[in-house]
Amino acid sequence: MPLPQWIKDLGKSVVDTAGNAASAIADNAAPLALGSAGLLLAKEGYDKVGEVGQDAYEALSGYTEDGKFTPGLAQELQGMFEFQPYTVTTSTGSQYGSEMGESTVDADGNTIPGQMNFGIDLSANEKLFQDAQLKRAESMFGLAAGNTYDSQGVDEEGNPLPSREQDVFNRMMSGIRPEQVRESNRLQGQLQAQGRLGVRTEAYGGTPEGLAMAKAQEESYSQNMLNAMQYAGQEQSRQAQLGAGMLSSSYIPQSQLLSGLQPGMTGAEQRRQSLSQQAETYGSTYASGLQALLQSALGQSGIAGTLGTGLATEALGGMFKR
Amino acid sequence: MAQELQSINLVAPAFKGINTEDSPLAQDPSFAEVADNAVIDKRGRIAARKGLSVITTNKTVLGSSKIRAIKEFKNNAGTTKVFSVGNNKIISGTTTLVDETPGSYSINADNWKMVNFNDNIYFFQRGLAPLIYNTVATGSSGGTGSTVKVLSTVNSASGLDDSTKFGNEILAAYGRLWTADFTDDKSTIYWTTLLSGHRWTGGTSGSIDISQVWPDGYDEIVALAAHNNHLIIFGRHSIVVYSGADNPATMTLSDTIAGIGCVDRDTVQSTGADVLFLSQTGLKSFGRTIQEKSMPISSLSGTITKDIIATLTVETESFRSVYHPEENFYLITFVGEDITFCFDVRATLENGSYRATRWPGTGFTSYVRQDNGTLLIGSVNGIGKYSGFQDNSGSYRFQYTSPELSFGDPAKLKFLKKIRPTIFGGEDSVIFFRWAYDFNSSSASAIITLTSNATSEYNVAEFNVGQFTSGQFLSRNNVNTSGSGGTLAINMEADINGKEMSLQEINVLALMGKTI
Repeated sequence: MPLPQWIKDLGKSVVDTAGNAASAIADNAAPLALGSAGLLLAKEGYDKVGEVGQDAYEALSGYTEDGKFTPGLAQELQGMFEFQPYTVTTSTGSQYGSEMGESTVDADGNTIPGQMNFGIDLSANEKLFQDAQLKRAESMFGLAAGNTYDSQGVDEEGNPLPSREQDVFNRMMSGIRPEQVRESNRLQGQLQAQGRLGVRTEAYGGTPEGLAMAKAQEESYSQNMLNAMQYAGQEQSRQAQLGAGMLSSSYIPQSQLLSGLQPGMTGAEQRRQSLSQQAETYGSTYASGLQALLQSALGQSGIAGTLGTGLATEALGGMFKR
Repeated sequence: MAQELQSINLVAPAFKGINTEDSPLAQDPSFAEVADNAVIDKRGRIAARKGLSVITTNKTVLGSSKIRAIKEFKNNAGTTKVFSVGNNKIISGTTTLVDETPGSYSINADNWKMVNFNDNIYFFQRGLAPLIYNTVATGSSGGTGSTVKVLSTVNSASGLDDSTKFGNEILAAYGRLWTADFTDDKSTIYWTTLLSGHRWTGGTSGSIDISQVWPDGYDEIVALAAHNNHLIIFGRHSIVVYSGADNPATMTLSDTIAGIGCVDRDTVQSTGADVLFLSQTGLKSFGRTIQEKSMPISSLSGTITKDIIATLTVETESFRSVYHPEENFYLITFVGEDITFCFDVRATLENGSYRATRWPGTGFTSYVRQDNGTLLIGSVNGIGKYSGFQDNSGSYRFQYTSPELSFGDPAKLKFLKKIRPTIFGGEDSVIFFRWAYDFNSSSASAIITLTSNATSEYNVAEFNVGQFTSGQFLSRNNVNTSGSGGTLAINMEADINGKEMSLQEINVLALMGKTI
């Protein structure tokens, strides 16, 4: 690494000052001149220390000259430590990606770095699956949210549709109705054969058999009604569960993608750590070099200072001694 | 050479009753062509019926009307009261008739039917609010207290508000009242709750509409009867039988009979072992109808079927009947025609018919058999008993006409010489004998008077053993006759006026002539 200019200038000044002092001494005005040269040399050393600090500062933080910013170690390291965008792609084609947003400049002219953007992108198939599942889930939740006692809407002709409970009940009744009709017909035939179709009694309304059948039918009616209520409620719960399941399953591609992100993140972290270490090493090395230069410059300035101080002390001290 | 008189005995003539169905020539002499005001007596002879002994002495409430129905009410304590109807009134009593019609109750017809049930007597007639009488003030009867009242007014009466449900037929059976034959409903039967004749709703009351049960598709209920745990429903031309009627809710159709019905509710009489009723084709027996339903049904009035049909055709008023086991007869009266047919129920003839006789012009309009066996008869004179041998202190004509007698050979000419009837009773009666040949309507006649032959041994002791019986009057008078013919019909008529009379036999003495 070549010596910085200021160190070279410092050496030249020291030599120049020594030449001047010798010349002064030779001229017999030498003490004063030598003292002045010593002081000057000391000041030169002092000034060089400041210049070295300034140079070190600029080397670390960068500097602007003629309107052009020259980045220093900090800028260099900032670039090195900056987040490295990466993308994770699963086997089904879904992707997780991140990118740095564009920087902006505020009104004061400060540059505001862009935000980091993280995004996941499902594959087309998985997106379709997710959308479909979401729709199904919505549908199921819609069904589950409905009141089982309310009409389910209207039919094509605008007639109100039965409630879900009624619908279930109707289906249950339609299942047993043929047998009920057969039983009724059988009883009718039996009563007809017995000549009892026209029997009306206070105790039974009609015949005891008719009452028994009516009771049985009413019991099955009531039972079916209760079953329909129960079923409709259970169905509602089932629909809600199904909706929840579908909603949950709709996020499976996403969660699978996020699961696949972990290894990617680990790899990216490792890379980041590696880059970080490299930057640290670079910075450290850079700083070490700079430190060495600073120490060297400080040493040189110390020599100049010591030399200047010594000269001034000898020159001025001898003069006052006479 | 003089020919010997042949003696032909007609033993117990007409003991088989009237027969107007078979050919006169082929008939058994035991039949009669005419047997008016006659019965078959206990010895199987044709005899004059008993008369009407009127016991009513005050019939003011009846006016000039007739007693249309009689019923004896007997409560559980054994108290009896005879109810009758007539002159649009409910009447009680037998000697002095008392108006029992509830106040403010208007009656426009006397076609009541009365039934005893659970300490009450109920009065039913189509279109009129039913009535009740009992002697208890409270209880399951609803409580009326010794006066006839409208049934719907008694305590806890129910189901009696609809005037269209006031039935014409009422039956007390199986612990309930049953009613049918309404103004606008001829196929429904209603029954009360158990043991409460005033509660037609609630409890175990009910009804049955049998409009879909009639075997011929349509019929109208005329009468109801109970027999052997069956409810017998008589239509006009069919019969429906339900078994298990002790529980009406579950009673089931047991039988249906098409083609035989009942002409009127008042012709139905239970004999204990059977139910008799008058159909459009004569007197029928329910038991026999059930047995023979799939075969030609024999008629209990098979010997006079056409007579009955002819009378039925013209009858416009009402029918009344009674079964009287003590007299062994079933009487059916065509009130409008004033003809009563008497059927002897002790036995049937070969063709299954009862022996029948005819009582014309009696003026009998209603009957009831009292618990003590007395047969009460209603008429324009009030109420009387079937006893004695006068109708309301007057005479009535007993008449017998034999069928055409051929004596085994209708081809031979007979010269009738004498008729010698053996007649029991009828002492001092005047008998008219007529005889006619060959179906000729004109006849010769003779009159005899039955004179006493002093059969009494009253006050004549034999060996110090007193015999104080008057015996029975018996006459065997000869009637000299004339004329000749192939067949012969003999007629005997007598006015019965206080003396019983029966015809034991007729001995005919005739000469047999040449073949015609």
